[in-house]
Amino acid sequence: MPLKAENDKEQIKKRIKENKTYLEERVGVGTSFDVGVREMKILGQQIEVVYCNSLVDSLSVIELLRELLRLVDLHKTGTDVKEVIKNHLAHEQVTEIKTLDEAVDNMLSGLIVIFIDGQSIGLVVDTRHYPGRQPAEPDIERVVRGSKDGFTENIIENIGLIRRRIRDERFRTEMLKVGERSKTDVSLIYLKDVADPGLVKALKKEIKKIEVDGIPMADKTIEEFVIKQGLNPYPLVRYTERPDVAAAHILEGHVLVVCDTSPSIIIFPTTFFHHVQHAEEYRQTPVVGGFLRWSRFIAILLSIFLVPLWLVLVMNPDVLPDWLNFLGPGKKDYHLPIVLQILMAEVGIEIIRMAAVHTPTSLSTALGLIAAVLIGQIAVQVGVFIPEVILYSSVSAIGAFATPSYELSEANKIIRILLIIIVAIFGVPGFMFGMTLLILYLARVKNLNTPFLWPFIPFYPVAMFNVFVRTSLPLARIRPSIVRPQNKLRQPKENNG
Amino acid sequence: MSKQSQSEHKKNQRKIITYIRVAIIGIFGGGIWSLLGFVFYTLNFSKFGPALILAPFPAYHWKESVGKQFLGILLICIVSIFIAFAYKLTLSRIKNLWISVGFGLVLWVIVFYILQPWISGLDPVTELGKNTISTTLCLYALYGLFVGYSISFDINSHEDEDTDYSNE
Repeated sequence: MPLKAENDKEQIKKRIKENKTYLEERVGVGTSFDVGVREMKILGQQIEVVYCNSLVDSLSVIELLRELLRLVDLHKTGTDVKEVIKNHLAHEQVTEIKTLDEAVDNMLSGLIVIFIDGQSIGLVVDTRHYPGRQPAEPDIERVVRGSKDGFTENIIENIGLIRRRIRDERFRTEMLKVGERSKTDVSLIYLKDVADPGLVKALKKEIKKIEVDGIPMADKTIEEFVIKQGLNPYPLVRYTERPDVAAAHILEGHVLVVCDTSPSIIIFPTTFFHHVQHAEEYRQTPVVGGFLRWSRFIAILLSIFLVPLWLVLVMNPDVLPDWLNFLGPGKKDYHLPIVLQILMAEVGIEIIRMAAVHTPTSLSTALGLIAAVLIGQIAVQVGVFIPEVILYSSVSAIGAFATPSYELSEANKIIRILLIIIVAIFGVPGFMFGMTLLILYLARVKNLNTPFLWPFIPFYPVAMFNVFVRTSLPLARIRPSIVRPQNKLRQPKENNG
Repeated sequence: MSKQSQSEHKKNQRKIITYIRVAIIGIFGGGIWSLLGFVFYTLNFSKFGPALILAPFPAYHWKESVGKQFLGILLICIVSIFIAFAYKLTLSRIKNLWISVGFGLVLWVIVFYILQPWISGLDPVTELGKNTISTTLCLYALYGLFVGYSISFDINSHEDEDTDYSNE
């Protein structure tokens, strides 16, 4: 690989000055302001502390150094300096390394490396302190009740949040590194005795295969390398920012991929119906949860089919059944063609939505006012839109907002616009063939050997029942078969509780 | 119990489960798509609702009431069990989505071309109009996909237990 440094296996030198020269050349000590070497004399021996001060916790480094300096008073010279120093590094994670390459990697990850004159090993102490924020409730997956913590950009904290929920000794967190330059930490987490080993192996292989300089867009880039998306707008993996959702999926037997620098965690494997569920449903009683879920399904269906269906009925008055006679603008009291009006409204709503996302809160009230009054009301009065267009476009837009997965709602929007265009051209056959092709296409999509429309097509009655009815956990005894769990039962079969 | 008879027993059990599954797939396949057919019938997309299946019984004036449409849905559910078994016996070994879709289209041809002369009240295809043709054609295709693909996926997924996950 051209990106890789060539002197991969350079040993740590016994003459301490040589190490410093090497680092000056390779890492740019002296050029970069945040990497440095501190030289000290401990027990008559020259030592060097190598650090990257934008990533280390200065306070704990000071603690460590103070402890080392106290050695001068306590020990006679001539003892085994390396052992004494190692013994006095007051930190739980101290490792020995042999190559300068490891030294550089560790130092640039925020650990400190201590070289001792006359020794061909380095001591590494984990003093990392990464800039980051406190766990906060993720904006996109809010719940009324339940835990309000969410993932942050720090992989260690994120895994900690999950580990707190699954203290099982069979819970595995495997660390991989991705990116020749960025060296981003990526972790696969799963239950060793539940998750399908084939899936773990396949994911590990795919992630190790990634050869790229860096992955600043973290999880999304990983997804793009692992999943062959093509032109499919539908999201083939589910993201979550909630530790409780992540833990629930791990217990079901899914494999999750955590990527450093991103608060979103990828759930493998995912089907369409993973995108229509929300943590809130599991925070309410089963009946209420089921009701919420059904409302959501209706919202999602409306967001795809309502406008095309209305359009097909209005554009073909011979089709319009008697009981729906009130629909439509009647005898041509509008100026622009209805299709054009709908497409304008669709694009308009999308623009308003995007503007709202990027507008600071202080201005968003004004934005809302403009959107509601000017576009909604005045556009009708001027005669650009007929009221019905506004009504149905708005309902389908709200349906999209009610879609739990943001990615799914965006994909649905694209499909809706395509359907509108097809319906405008071909009428009823267009609607029918459009719908059929959509379902056929989604049924054909497979990622990681998982049919996207499972459990609808192919049909698995029990799993489908669980999609439509929010079962209470005491009744959910088996894990979903789609993850091919090694251990199918979540609870002992005879539950005497 | 000897080892052989145990595995025999297991095999039998699997067979029974497969039969039950095929029946359930048939029932739901018939139910879901004929219900959708009813929706499109009420929207006037198609001239025929699920009550079309009652046509061979001339005592029923199958075109009229909603009740008969639901009777039609019920009957389609039952007939679908047999169709599902027919699929299992013939095409289920081939795990290909298009075969299933083709199966649905063949069913459509059978109903609207071959059986048409015997179904009272069903016009020849040329006189149905493009709305009815496209609606029924799509529903039959989706029905075939649902029934056929579900059955063949289930059968084939038991056979190769150690499926690989590669994307290729």
